[in-house]
Amino acid sequence: MKSNNVNPIPKVKISNLSKIFGDKPQDMLLHVRNGMSKADLLANHGHVLGLQDINVDIQAGEITVVMGLSGSGKSTLIRHLNRLIEPTSGEIVIDGKDVMKMSMADLNSLRQNKMSMVFQKFALFPHHTVLQNIALPLQVRGMAETEREQEAENWLERVGLTGFGGHYPHQLSGGMQQRVGLARALASNSDIMLMDEAFSSLDPLIRTDMQDLLLELQKELRKTIVFITHDLDEALKLSDHLVILNNGAVVQQGEPQSILMNPSDSYIEAFISDINRARVLRVRSVMTPLNEGEVYAGDVYADDNLESLIALSEGDTEHSYRVLDNDVAVGQIDMGTLVRALVPRVWDKNNPIL
Amino acid sequence: MAFYDGMFNFFGLRDWCNENTSDVPMSMSELLAKTRGESVTASAEGFPFPSLDNLNKACSNMPRTRELTAGVEDAFLNIKDSLKVVLDPITQPLSWFLDGALYAFTSTPWFILIPILILCAWYVSKSLSVTLLVAFSFLSFSFIDHLNVAIQTLSIVFVCTTICVLFGVPIGILMSRSNALQRVTIPILDLLQTLPSFVYLIPLIFLFSVTESKLYGIAIILYAIVPVIRLTNLGIRLVDKDVIEAANAFGMSKQQKLFGVEIPLALPNIMAGINQTIMMSLSMVVIASLVSAPGLGVLVLRGIRNLELGVGLIAGLGIVLLAVVLDRTSKGALIRINKSHHQDK
Repeated sequence: MKSNNVNPIPKVKISNLSKIFGDKPQDMLLHVRNGMSKADLLANHGHVLGLQDINVDIQAGEITVVMGLSGSGKSTLIRHLNRLIEPTSGEIVIDGKDVMKMSMADLNSLRQNKMSMVFQKFALFPHHTVLQNIALPLQVRGMAETEREQEAENWLERVGLTGFGGHYPHQLSGGMQQRVGLARALASNSDIMLMDEAFSSLDPLIRTDMQDLLLELQKELRKTIVFITHDLDEALKLSDHLVILNNGAVVQQGEPQSILMNPSDSYIEAFISDINRARVLRVRSVMTPLNEGEVYAGDVYADDNLESLIALSEGDTEHSYRVLDNDVAVGQIDMGTLVRALVPRVWDKNNPIL
Repeated sequence: MAFYDGMFNFFGLRDWCNENTSDVPMSMSELLAKTRGESVTASAEGFPFPSLDNLNKACSNMPRTRELTAGVEDAFLNIKDSLKVVLDPITQPLSWFLDGALYAFTSTPWFILIPILILCAWYVSKSLSVTLLVAFSFLSFSFIDHLNVAIQTLSIVFVCTTICVLFGVPIGILMSRSNALQRVTIPILDLLQTLPSFVYLIPLIFLFSVTESKLYGIAIILYAIVPVIRLTNLGIRLVDKDVIEAANAFGMSKQQKLFGVEIPLALPNIMAGINQTIMMSLSMVVIASLVSAPGLGVLVLRGIRNLELGVGLIAGLGIVLLAVVLDRTSKGALIRINKSHHQDK
């Protein structure tokens, strides 16, 4: 799933996107461009800076995770993609078309055909059955009832809720409701799926289930997913591309492993300081080039995490291992490198990677 | 003489005041006093409020309070004719509906009408107890020969409620869309709701002939339409914002949202409004018997006018029974809708 090779045209390109909440956002934009901070803008002008000069490229078939604490503007950002919130300035180009310039009719067609959304609070229609809820995107498009319910039935099965089609949402548990929410988004058969803190309101075990379900579906469907979360473990598990927001601005973005290895500032450092690095870091991120004539204790895969390597070595720090990717040797890793990788990185001002 | 003489003198208005003085008595008490040979002196109270009447005593050129009410009346009578030209044709269908419904309901024989009413109650409430209550009530009305009057009342309530819903729900929807409209509408609704029900009748009596059924129809509709408007507005405003956002995110059009999401989710509130509207039109139809609305109210009125205690009381209890029937039936529908909604969040 690592597709960091050459990506010619992004599926969604967000350029210079800014959003200011208040009565006179355009006037305030000037202040922000001149460097006024979020706090000053609120104190002196009573306007809230939602997003500030966001530039993100979202590649087709990848999961782009936008992470930040509450109030960082991540939910605002995702709502700009389908224009549930109107921007103050900037552009969002999806497949070559600027969403910001679309008429209401074009926008509705975009929302019906190209984008679907999964919500934190599920937002199912309480007066519709599960099956009718899943069939909603097809109903909006005007598909005939028998046809759309058949289609919905397929998705119901894919999310593991066979037999619940006739229930009402309130009769299901939170996790099951979000499966319905996911099935509803999938049923629209759109390329892009927006997931706004989709799993945040579920309890941890069910959340893990849902993440696995999403990854499994994604392996096959290859949707362009924009996923919002405040949970770093979730972000690292799901993301191909990670965007970290703070106070409405992008702090760092890139491949999650590289962010972990090279945090760009103290905010990110604080963020990643208390995660289990051994579980999150993968061999690929810490391996060194192959050394001629080295003797290897065994083979590991590039996508294995360091925790599994520690288990393999049974705690012996002497060995080094050959790293395979698709059965081709791509590098080696010795236990010394591994242990060094587990030391939390401190942001190095003189050597910023990004 | 009068208490405020000095004030008018002080401002040099004496000449203006005395312009067209006449000694013609202006009120009944003055006339009586004059015939008795007493002179009207300033009343014993030392410091009267400077009201129009008291000022008039000192200065006969000041208008009197009576002229205010007379002015309102004149103003109304002046616009009456032009108002009638506009209102008469617009409201004419109401007379037809009311007369038609009265005719249809009262000319149906009891052995057809009562089963129909029972079936309606069953269809609306799907509740056995409510259906039995309806059957019992109408059989009792027939047994004491009150079926005809009860049915007259019922048919008026039926027509007026239908019209209230036809106009009230769309008005409520428009109100929920626009805060500006809501700001304008709410004072009007407050006025309609607090205006004593008798007061509705006064201008209407001037506008329409008492023989026209739309006279009481309009009074009932104005009085009873308020709750259905209010609760439709409230119901739609209370629809979960997350659900509306989901509807937007999947590209639903305005109509799809209105008929597929907002109205169904507001339905429990709208039904509560309709229930209130039914009850209010029932209470108004009794008062409207003063202006020739037929039905149980006429018997109550007869009880009061002729001191026929039994007639008035039986009719009054009949109204209570009818109210219970209407309330239980419409609440039955409300409960049924609530069950199928189950908004447990």
